[in-house]
Amino acid sequence: MASLHLSFCQLAGNRPPSHRSRCLPVRCADDRQALFNRIAPVYDNVRPISLHLNDLLSLGQHRVWKRMAVSWSGAKVGDNVLDLCCGSGDLAFVMSEKVGPAGKVTGLDFSNEQLLIASSRQHSRPKACYKNIKWVEGDALNLPFSDSYFDAITIGYGLRNVVDKQKAMKEMYRVLQPGSKVSVLDFNKSTNPFTASFQEWMIDTVVVPAATGFGLAKEYRYLNSSIQEFLTGKELEKLALETGFSNARYFEVGGGLMGNLVAT
Amino acid sequence: MVRVSRVLLRDGVGISKTLSEILVCPLSKQPLRVCEESNSLIRDAIGVAYPVSPYIVDGIPCLVPSDGKIIEADDKPKPDDNSMRKDP
Repeated sequence: MASLHLSFCQLAGNRPPSHRSRCLPVRCADDRQALFNRIAPVYDNVRPISLHLNDLLSLGQHRVWKRMAVSWSGAKVGDNVLDLCCGSGDLAFVMSEKVGPAGKVTGLDFSNEQLLIASSRQHSRPKACYKNIKWVEGDALNLPFSDSYFDAITIGYGLRNVVDKQKAMKEMYRVLQPGSKVSVLDFNKSTNPFTASFQEWMIDTVVVPAATGFGLAKEYRYLNSSIQEFLTGKELEKLALETGFSNARYFEVGGGLMGNLVAT
Repeated sequence: MVRVSRVLLRDGVGISKTLSEILVCPLSKQPLRVCEESNSLIRDAIGVAYPVSPYIVDGIPCLVPSDGKIIEADDKPKPDDNSMRKDP
């Protein structure tokens, strides 16, 4: 990933970060739900040429970041874990392998279309441990789980999309066992102007054109404004501590394009 | 597009016991009752039923608060909740 970063850096230039402010934000929860329902068929689906959109956009690196996120969650064999904003299930499947047949994975998302794809992927894969995954359509701001229920929580590319991040963090804190961890993977809102410019350029020049090929330009164009509205690593650490977590650390991955908050 | 195999579809599909043990009402955080007849999860105290998607072997429950349906006042009395039983 580092060598890729360098080759794009030569072309990135110094676009002012304020360019992002001209993008219209996606504010309403209904809009976001509709957006994810629209992209569900290609988000992680197997295409005739065996090319997933996320694989194309990240050059396969998203699988590495997701495995790191699961590692950081501290999930282990036999655990009862939650993957929030699970979408079509990438993180849930990794969690499933981690906790094994003796463990339990719950995948929650507010897009029924994404969950149907996740369920279809689960039934089409031969691994026995995937039987330990249950899918639930729900709201990250009103989780249908008891207090202190889970041994680990992951949320990948989800916190940035919820309309009330504080409430989502509070709900995660509520349903998590004391001493357990939440692992939050997402795009990194970098405070480094060069990294921020490079990320914006990648989205405008690589991600949106690639998504256009799948008929989803409009849906992915929201990314830059969404990242601008998101929190930096330091702000995410502060949010976790204010929520009640006793420890919060943020790690930049993928050459600074992505970040992972770990809170306990 | 994803094609869900007809082999996986079944009418009147219920919710697994495991899921019904995991889930609580998203608003009150209190336990839910499985209603096989209406294929839903019910929170009797607030009179709300959450539907369960029938489209796969193991139903996907929908616990989004806005998708909960208010149960009609003349519903049958619930066998496991004496406080909700109506007078004859």
